[in-house]
Amino acid sequence: MIDWARLANLLRYGFLERALGSTALHLRWYNRIAIFPGGLCLLNLAIETKNLTKTYKTSSGPQSVVKDLDLQVERGEIFGFLGPNGAGKTTTIKILLGIIDSTSGEASVLGNPAGDIESHRKLSYLPEKPYYYEHMTGMEITQFYASLFGIKDRELCERLLNRVNLGNDMNRPISQYSKGMQQRVGLAQSLLNDPELLFLDEPTGGLDPIAHIEIRDLILKFRDEGRTVFISSHELSDVERICDRVAIINKGEMVHQGRLDQLLSGGRIEITADNVSEELSAKLRNDESTVSFKAGRLIADIPDSMKPGEVIDAIRAAGGEVVSIIPRRKRLEDLFLESVAGDNVIKGRKLSKMTDDHDDHVGSGTATTTEEEVSS
Amino acid sequence: MRLKRTPLLASIVALVAVGGVLNRTAYPIWVSNYSPRVDADISGLQADQLLIALAGFREMVAGILWVRADTFFDEGNYDAILPIIRVVTMLDPKQIDVYATGMWHIAYNFTDEQNRSDRRYIPSALALGSEGARNNDYTYELFFETGWLWYHKIDDDYDNAVDWWEQATERKDMQVARKNILAMAYLRAGKFDEAIDHYEGLLANAQAELKKNPNEFANRQNVDTLEGNLDNLLVRLAQRGNFAIKGGYYDQWSYDTRPPYDVGFSAQVTVEDSKVLRVEGTWGVQPVGTRVRIVLRDRDYASGRPAAMVWARSNQVDLDPEKNVTFMQDGLFVKNQAFFRRVDMSRDPTMYPFSSDNYVVEFYYNPRSGPPHIQDRFGYSGEGLTDKNYLNTEVREGQRVIFASLELTRDQLLRQGEWSTKVPIVRTKGYVATGSRQTDEVINVPGLRNEPEPTE
Amino acid sequence: MNAVLSIAKTTIGEAIRRRVLLVILLIGVLFLVIAPGLSVLSARQNYTVLTSFTLGIIQLTSAVIAIVLTVYLLPNEVERRTIYTILSKPVYRWHFLLGKYLGAVGALAMMMLLMSTVLVLVFKIMQRDASMEDVMRLATAPIFFFVQMSLLAAVAMFFSTFVSPIVNIFLSGGVYLIGTLFSPVFQDLSNNKNLSPAVKGAATLVHTVVPNFAQYNIQSGIINRGPELRSVELYYATIVGYALIYITVFLIAGMMVFDRKEV
Repeated sequence: MIDWARLANLLRYGFLERALGSTALHLRWYNRIAIFPGGLCLLNLAIETKNLTKTYKTSSGPQSVVKDLDLQVERGEIFGFLGPNGAGKTTTIKILLGIIDSTSGEASVLGNPAGDIESHRKLSYLPEKPYYYEHMTGMEITQFYASLFGIKDRELCERLLNRVNLGNDMNRPISQYSKGMQQRVGLAQSLLNDPELLFLDEPTGGLDPIAHIEIRDLILKFRDEGRTVFISSHELSDVERICDRVAIINKGEMVHQGRLDQLLSGGRIEITADNVSEELSAKLRNDESTVSFKAGRLIADIPDSMKPGEVIDAIRAAGGEVVSIIPRRKRLEDLFLESVAGDNVIKGRKLSKMTDDHDDHVGSGTATTTEEEVSS
Repeated sequence: MRLKRTPLLASIVALVAVGGVLNRTAYPIWVSNYSPRVDADISGLQADQLLIALAGFREMVAGILWVRADTFFDEGNYDAILPIIRVVTMLDPKQIDVYATGMWHIAYNFTDEQNRSDRRYIPSALALGSEGARNNDYTYELFFETGWLWYHKIDDDYDNAVDWWEQATERKDMQVARKNILAMAYLRAGKFDEAIDHYEGLLANAQAELKKNPNEFANRQNVDTLEGNLDNLLVRLAQRGNFAIKGGYYDQWSYDTRPPYDVGFSAQVTVEDSKVLRVEGTWGVQPVGTRVRIVLRDRDYASGRPAAMVWARSNQVDLDPEKNVTFMQDGLFVKNQAFFRRVDMSRDPTMYPFSSDNYVVEFYYNPRSGPPHIQDRFGYSGEGLTDKNYLNTEVREGQRVIFASLELTRDQLLRQGEWSTKVPIVRTKGYVATGSRQTDEVINVPGLRNEPEPTE
Repeated sequence: MNAVLSIAKTTIGEAIRRRVLLVILLIGVLFLVIAPGLSVLSARQNYTVLTSFTLGIIQLTSAVIAIVLTVYLLPNEVERRTIYTILSKPVYRWHFLLGKYLGAVGALAMMMLLMSTVLVLVFKIMQRDASMEDVMRLATAPIFFFVQMSLLAAVAMFFSTFVSPIVNIFLSGGVYLIGTLFSPVFQDLSNNKNLSPAVKGAATLVHTVVPNFAQYNIQSGIINRGPELRSVELYYATIVGYALIYITVFLIAGMMVFDRKEV
C-alpha cells in the first residue's frame, strides 16, 4: 500500500521549504493537510470521534461512561482534554488507543480506526504515573520500548535521553530516579518512533516547579516540530498556557470544545476613577455592569464587549480622573467550573482578578472591590 | 485488530483431538513403565494419603515414611512399623526393600518372651511377599524372599518353596550362587529328578562360564561346588535307596534306610500352671539335632491343619493377625533320646488369648526338615522311619511322618474351675518317663564311649 | 517477534528478582542440600530415599514457582499500568501474552536448572560410585518436570486472563491435582466393565481431553532401578508433543480471552 502522506511529504518538502523557507513551518502546514491519491487536499484531523459511547453493565443497570462524544483534534496542535475525575477522560483515551472497545460510535486516530496497529507506529502514549520495571536502567527501559518498534538503535536512545536531560543518569536503575526523572524517561520513550501524535496523561503531575517548566517547554517544542499533542491534565494553568484547543467533558458528555481564545472570550475590565459624580455612576450601571461608588470613587466592572474607551471618555468628560484600568480575562478555571459544577454552580461568580502572572493594580491608591451577586 | 475467533476455536478443537490421540498412545507405556502396578491396592489409603499418593509425590512420601520406620526399628517399637510398611508399599510398590524387610519383620520379629514367633502373622507376610513379587516381577528378589519364608520359616509344604524359587530362577538378575537353593527345595519336596536336573543344568552353565573365563577363581569355585553337590546328592540318593525305590528293586538290596527305624516316640504334657506346660518325652534317635515340632492351637480353628495352619490364604495384605486364635509352635530339642521343654505362655496374653474352649497339642516330625545325616537314615519321605504308635501317612501326602495329638480344655490350660487344684496331665500311648535324661548335661554318643548306655 | 522476545526478556529479568520466588527457590535448594541427612538405611535404600526425596522436592518447588510466577504476570501489568505503554506500541495483545508466557517459562527454566544442578551435585557426593549414566538418568526427571511445569504455567496464564490471582492459584493448583489424579481414576472408570457405556464414555472423554500431568512423573523408573522400561524414546517424544499441543491450546484460548479483555 502506498503511503501517500509520506510520498507527498518527500515531494512537498523541497517545494514548501523553497516557498516558505522554514522546515518547521512546512511541517506545520503538512500536518494540516491530508494527501489523497490524485492530490486532493483536505483538512486532516489527528483524532476524530463521532457519537462515541461506552457503556458498562453494572449491578444497578447499564452506565454510560462516555456518551455521544464528538471530538476533533487537528494535526499539529496541542489539545487539552479536561474534565473532573470520573468524567470519562481515561476511558476515552483508552478507546482511542484501542485498549478498550467502544460500545457504539466511531473513533479514528491518524486516519485509521482506533486501535489499528499501523496508527500505533505513529503515536505514543505517556500514562499518568508510569511504572517501569525497576531492575532496568533508564537506557535499558528505553531500549526495551524501542525494541517494541523494532528499533535497535542505541544511539537514538542515548540522544533521546540526552534530550530530556537524562544523559548523566541513563545508566542508573530506574528505582533510583525521582518522579521528574521518571517522567522524563516516559517522554523519551514516547519519542522513540518519532510520533506524529502524542497522548500525554498528566505529564506534569507531581513534579517540582523546575521539572514542571521543563516538561512544559518540551511539549511546546513538540508542537514546533509539527507533532500533535493530546494532553489530559488537571493543571489548568498549564493547559491554558500551552494548549491551542481544549475540550471539557463532564459525566461522559462534551460540554465545551474549541479554541481557547474563543472559549475564554467574555472577559471584563475594571475601571477605577476618582472625582466622579453619582449621576455618572448611575448612568454607567446596566445589566452587564457592576458599579460601586463611594466618596467620589467609582469602580466599574464592565464586560470587555462594551467599549471601554467610551466609558473612559465619559468619565473624563464628567471631570473624573481615571485611576486604573485593569482587564480581567475569563480564565480556564472559571470555564471549567462553569462546565462541570452543575447544581453547585456559583452563578456569576466574579472572575479572577489576575492577569497572566500577578494580581497587580495599575496606578496608585488602594482599590477596593466588593463581590456582588450579579443578576443572571 | 481483534483476533478472528472461528479459526482459533477450530484450531483448538483440532489440537485437542491430536492431543487426545497422543495421550492414549502414551498412557499404556506410562502404565507399564512408570505407574504403580495395578496390583497395588490403594483403596486402603486415607483420603489425604491418597491425594499425595496420586499427586506425583508418592515415592517421596514413601521414602520419608520408611526413614521414620527405621527409627522405630532402632527403638524396638515393632507395632508402629506395621502401618508404615503398609502405607509405604501402597504408595510405592516398586520399593523392593520395603517388601522384603516388611515380610521379614512380620514373620520373625513378633515373638513371645521365649522367642517363639507369632505364626498368626505368617499369612500376612506371605501375602505381602506375593504382592511385592507381582508388582516387581522383573526381579528375582521377592520371589526368592517369599520362597525363603516357605523353606525356612514355615519349614513345611516345600512344594510352595519350589514354586517360588522356580519363578525366581527364571529372572535374569538372580545370582548364580543363589540358584543352588532350588535344588535343596526340590529335595525337601521329594523331587529328586528335578534336583538332579537342576544341578546338572547349573553345572553345565558353570563349566561353560569357566571355559570362557578360565582365570576367574569364582568360576572355578562354582564348578567345584556344583560337582561336589551333585556327587553328594547322587551318592546319598543311591545309598538311601531312592533310585532303587524308583527302579522297583528297593526290597532286594541293603540301603541306609532299610529297615525302618522305630523312633520310639512318646510324650507327656503337664499343665504346671495357668498357661504353662511342661513337655517331656522320648525320641529313640541317638544323634543330637532332632527337633520335634510341638503345636498348641484351637481345636476348632477353621484354618488349622495338623501341626500347622493354612499359611497362604489370600492375596489381600492384612496386617492384623487373628487376635482370638491361639497358635503356639515350638521345637523340642532331643538329646540323650529325650526331650524336655517348659513352655510358658502366661506372659504373652496378646499372643495366646485362649479364648476358645478346646485345644489340641500336636507333636510332629518330618524328616524332610531334618539335617542330611538324619535323612541318610530316615530318607526324604520317611521310608527309613517308623513308630509303633504314631507313624502317620495321612497328615502329609506321600510322606511318612510322626504325628500325635493330645487334647486339653481351656479350663485345664488355665487351671481354673475343677482344675484349679488338680494338675492336668495328658500322655501319648506308651509314654516312657524320661527320668534324668532331660536334665543331664552330658550328651551320650554311643560308639565314642566304652561305658554302657545309661538306663532308667 | 522482536516484541515477543523483548517482552520475554524483560519478564525474565523481573521474575528472577521477585523475592517471593527467590524465597521458594531457596527453600527448595535447602531441602535438596539436607536430603542426604535422610539416608540412614542400607545402600540401596539410601539411593531410593535420596532420589525420591530430592526429585519430589524439585517437582513440588517447581509447581509452586510455576503457579506463583505466572498468576501475577498479567494482573501486575494491568495494576501498574505498564501494559498501557506496551499496548500503545505496535504490539498485538497476543504478542504480549506470548512474550509474558515465554518469559515465565524462561525464568522457570533458570530456577529449575539451578535446582537440578544442586541435585546432581548432592547425588554425586552421596553416591560416589554412581556412573555418568546414572547421573544422566537422574537428570532426565527434572527435564520432564520442566515440560510438565511449562504446561502448568500455560494453564495458569490462561486463567490469569479472566480471574484474580488468588482464585487462579487455587484453580491452577486444582487443575494440576486433577490432571495428576485423573489418570488412574478415569482410566479405571473407562475400563470398568460394571459401569454403563455412558459413564465409561464420559470417563474416556475426560481422560482424553483434560491435560494429563501424571504422565510426566517418570521418577519411578529412576528411583526404583531395575524394571526394564519399554519404548522410552517413543514415550518421551509423545509426551513432549502432547505438552506442546496443550500449551498451544491454552495460549490460544488465553489470547482469545485477553484479546477482548478490558484492561
